[in-house]
Amino acid sequence: MHNVVTKSRDVTLLEILDRVLDKGVVISGDAVISVADVDLIYLGLKVLLSSVETMEKYRGAPITGPMQEPT
Amino acid sequence: MKLYLYGIIDSSNQINEPIYGLEGACVYNIPYCDIGAVVSEFTEPVQNNTEGNVLAHEEIIERLMEHFTVLPVRFQTIIDGRDNLLSIMQSYYKDFRNNLERFHNKIEFGIKVIWPSDKIKEHIINTYKKSSQKVSISDDSSNKRFMREKFEKHKLDEEFQAKADKFINVMDIFFSKFAAEKKLKKLKTEDLLLDAVYLVEKDKQDDFREAFEHIKGPHANFKFLFSGPWPAYNFVILPKNSDLLKDSRQEDLFDKVVQHQELVGAEKI
Repeated sequence: MHNVVTKSRDVTLLEILDRVLDKGVVISGDAVISVADVDLIYLGLKVLLSSVETMEKYRGAPITGPMQEPT
Repeated sequence: MKLYLYGIIDSSNQINEPIYGLEGACVYNIPYCDIGAVVSEFTEPVQNNTEGNVLAHEEIIERLMEHFTVLPVRFQTIIDGRDNLLSIMQSYYKDFRNNLERFHNKIEFGIKVIWPSDKIKEHIINTYKKSSQKVSISDDSSNKRFMREKFEKHKLDEEFQAKADKFINVMDIFFSKFAAEKKLKKLKTEDLLLDAVYLVEKDKQDDFREAFEHIKGPHANFKFLFSGPWPAYNFVILPKNSDLLKDSRQEDLFDKVVQHQELVGAEKI
């Protein structure tokens, strides 16, 4: 599961979470046992308390280039 | 039997390579007509919304992307049994199919642009001061001063927005040439000039990257963030009035982050 971090792309967790937690198909209804509670997950994963801008400060260097390696 | 759902794919065939999902369970495809729902089995609902689980979810969708067109499903969607899943597939087959067709051979890229809003404003103010000095007003009563300050504030906001529009339009012209669909958000904060996602045909991705490099060049004091390729998370369109399925774009996550920051006293965005 850590391949995502180490392998092909140097994407930030923020970018991943922004998609996985609140984008794509959202299914709800009786047939669905559990749908991610976005609020709780965001609180649980405090990494998301950082925005792109604050992340940049923590990195100590500006985001100057693509976040991915060239293919 | 509970099924953790990762995504809908444009194939009813089984996945050729072994993929292991959350909690190490085998990932497989449940076919419905010519599409399929990719799942793994669960004995109990996922309790821990850990970073690892989120990354694992995304990684599985990326693995599927290598072989299929994927309609990504949101993290931690667990369906109560195969029959219920097939019932969902039956009800929404047409919608799933339409989305899969739109996404065929396409990938999503994200672009964020941060600009130095303080400097931009400073520049606007300086320009305004220079021009207003030429028509300087000697009367400086408090009422007039108040009105003038209000007017200057209004003028500053107007100019700031106009500059943002101008930059975004220029950038978007380049990116749009190679994109099938796009979504742009202007000035989520004063610094975050542009938060955009583009749906790009796979064979145009190199052109798209080139356009990004081209745009980045002349803006040394801007900061650019490029991410992707992603499955088309941001472009899923499903019936809005359905009580079963919802388009995920009903809430702005950015607002949530801000709210949570306030909740825990974290640094403001």
